[in-house]
Amino acid sequence: MSADGAAAGRSGYLLLAAIVAFVFFWLDRNAPGDLPPAATADIARVGGLDDDSSAGFRADAWLLPDEALLGFVEIPAGAFIMGSDPRRDPMAYANERWSAQSRQGNPHLPGFYIGRYEVTVAQFNRFAGSSGRVSRIAGEAAHPATGVTWPEALAYARWLDGQMRLSPATPAVLRQALEAGWRISLPSEAQWEKAARGVGGRVFPWGLDPAAGNANFGGGALRAVTGGDCPQCSHGLADMAGNVWEMTSSPLRDYPFDPAGDAPAIGADALFVMRGGSHLDGANNVRAAVRGAVDPGARSAVIGFRLAIAPP
Amino acid sequence: MPAIASKRQPRQDSGEGRALAFSGEKVLALPVAAALGLLLVSLQSRVQENPALLASTLGAATALLLWLGWQWLGMRRAGACPAIRLVARRQHYIQALVQGSVLLYWGYYWSPVYDHFWLLAAQLLFAYGFDALLAFSRQREYLLGFGPFPIIFSINLFLWFRDDWFYLQFLMIAAGFMGKEYVRWMRDGRSVHIFNPSAFALGLFSLALIATGATGLTWGREIASTLTLAPNIYTFLFFAGLVVMSVFSITLVAGMAAVSLFALSGMYFAITGVPYFIDSEIPAAVFLGLHLLVTDPSTSPRTPLGKALFGVLYGLGVFALYTLLGALGAPTFYDKLLCVPLLNLSVIAIDRAVKRIPSQSWAMMWKAGWNPARANPAHMALWVAVFAGVSLAGHTDSRHTGDSVPFWQQACAESRLNACGRLLQLQATYCGDNSAWACNELGAHYREGRLVEADAELALAYFSRACELKSMAACQNLLRGDALLRSPPGDLDLRLLLREGGANLLEAHPAELRRRACEHGWAFACAENRA
Repeated sequence: MSADGAAAGRSGYLLLAAIVAFVFFWLDRNAPGDLPPAATADIARVGGLDDDSSAGFRADAWLLPDEALLGFVEIPAGAFIMGSDPRRDPMAYANERWSAQSRQGNPHLPGFYIGRYEVTVAQFNRFAGSSGRVSRIAGEAAHPATGVTWPEALAYARWLDGQMRLSPATPAVLRQALEAGWRISLPSEAQWEKAARGVGGRVFPWGLDPAAGNANFGGGALRAVTGGDCPQCSHGLADMAGNVWEMTSSPLRDYPFDPAGDAPAIGADALFVMRGGSHLDGANNVRAAVRGAVDPGARSAVIGFRLAIAPP
Repeated sequence: MPAIASKRQPRQDSGEGRALAFSGEKVLALPVAAALGLLLVSLQSRVQENPALLASTLGAATALLLWLGWQWLGMRRAGACPAIRLVARRQHYIQALVQGSVLLYWGYYWSPVYDHFWLLAAQLLFAYGFDALLAFSRQREYLLGFGPFPIIFSINLFLWFRDDWFYLQFLMIAAGFMGKEYVRWMRDGRSVHIFNPSAFALGLFSLALIATGATGLTWGREIASTLTLAPNIYTFLFFAGLVVMSVFSITLVAGMAAVSLFALSGMYFAITGVPYFIDSEIPAAVFLGLHLLVTDPSTSPRTPLGKALFGVLYGLGVFALYTLLGALGAPTFYDKLLCVPLLNLSVIAIDRAVKRIPSQSWAMMWKAGWNPARANPAHMALWVAVFAGVSLAGHTDSRHTGDSVPFWQQACAESRLNACGRLLQLQATYCGDNSAWACNELGAHYREGRLVEADAELALAYFSRACELKSMAACQNLLRGDALLRSPPGDLDLRLLLREGGANLLEAHPAELRRRACEHGWAFACAENRA
């Protein structure tokens, strides 16, 4: 081989080595690593905005509302009216009937706390940013967190539960509840309905008539969770009607609801109750007794959630 | 500009017929056409729909054009230009036809292969341009024929990068051709490339992917597991392999590799009571590899005994690497790719070792008196008999013991060798295929910590996945931190779990699914059938 040929051969070797080195370096820098399937699926999602705190939320307390109980409202123990009576609520759907014998039920629930507001984008993104397993979501900080699957909503609840158990920022009454074995999770549909309509069986959180000024529904735009303050609503909770549907922990099944046995047939396909209707729905779907259903893997721009702290 | 010959002599060729030659600047039309072809491919919607893929294709075309410009300037300065000779080698176009037929058949049953068409075309164009420019830069004549086809097809039968990372596919091709050009040795007095070009590229990139844990950037796992979606793929590969064997005398390599693997798998099963490979005696992708990857005549031994030894070593290598990769936590489908470059390195040693065996020794007796021209048909006849035998025994396209999850559950419960690890591996595969049942089972394993070390976070991740796939048991496991609920596979799960490698059960009636499930040992299905 000539000197030119030998030099070219050396150059070729060097170039080949450089390509191989680059590939090692590049893959090492960009490899996604071994993530479990759920997290792998999340990679495809685009991350959202920074979790800037908004006015009325505490940056030092997981961006929860700046209230004494960080936005959690106590719902006392006791019975309440569940389900719909078409004589009183002509918009009632068939699946809101309690049983063949009675139109409505009167279940008793122990006391619990429920969030005054829907969980926000900023709150969810603070969790997502720290978990490494769930991607951030897009949206304005104070808007309700949407595009989140049911397991991701539950993961957020689990994360907040872990945080609040350990933090001095947790109000004493909530810490005591958590120490007593209560857990932060999605509300059951009974808890949600009791919180939404009180014990007197209101059709809407604020009463019997679909007054348009009390909630965000009927085709309006999504709004910040603090835009729906409703002092006249049951327990002063915001957006229990409209803005976004809210996922619950209850599997969809026929009434009567049994608070002691909310466990479903585990062989069935999972489908969970969602409540409250969205900003796109009409008055019939934002009634407190309406029962929608959500596939646990679904991501929707009109489905969000709020949290409850309840005994096991 | 004078049309001169190269400073180096063109390599010795074999098998080509009448050759046409061109020289002068017009030969640069070849890389220009390749680059323009890449630009045309970049206009296809398949490429346009992904910005990274579009950038990769345009980048490859730009790289060729820049290199071409550099080459042209160099030629002007030197006052010389290279030549192209048209040469259609049988070993190239026959291999290409056989590999192409596999791609067509497999793609008919697994659509990503057909979706890959334009990307395959882009790779071929890049390969022609790159190979020609490489030859010109080495101031030697470029032999224009079908050479790039078997290299590109062979690479794409085993590994390709996802769209977002497709520029690495072009780099892999470049590495293959550079390995062929630069990594050479003297063999029988001739300078020849050491490595099978596609196996060299695949081996290098496999190492990089394993070392960096970046297999997810490729379709490697899917490619390795979807060959069996094509019905009777073993028989198809067998007949395709016969075509190659009949022309190139590589029967001993492929046949001995297959026989070794069948024998080793059989011995393992006899000793442990469980199959070595999860769902077959020889995974279909390995069967493909031993026909079309390891059998390059240029990079394998020349003597019959050397070829037989080469095949046996391939079988042993795959067998050993499967366990080694599994133990390292790396994807096991790299087994068939990693050992080929190592075997290529050993061919001279194998040929020398075989030559040292005295002609009267027992090792040479078996071929005594055989005319080489007649030996290959005889070897092929033996191979046909062997394949017919193992097929009749149900070890190729038939249902396999390891196809049944209940078999592995039982084997794991009986603590048979590696059975629990294989069960987890199988469930992880099905979970990756979106079986809610399998994901929930994995979550349960990580929560209870019996088969694997307990890992609460991983358990939650698998339960989440299963719940998103509508497993109510998994959703309840998520809701209640202390729960460990399991449910039998649903219809959607069964359509995955009962595929037996290749069956399409998407349209199967639920009663048919239950019948098959019972045959696989699912007790719940047998009970339902009885009811």
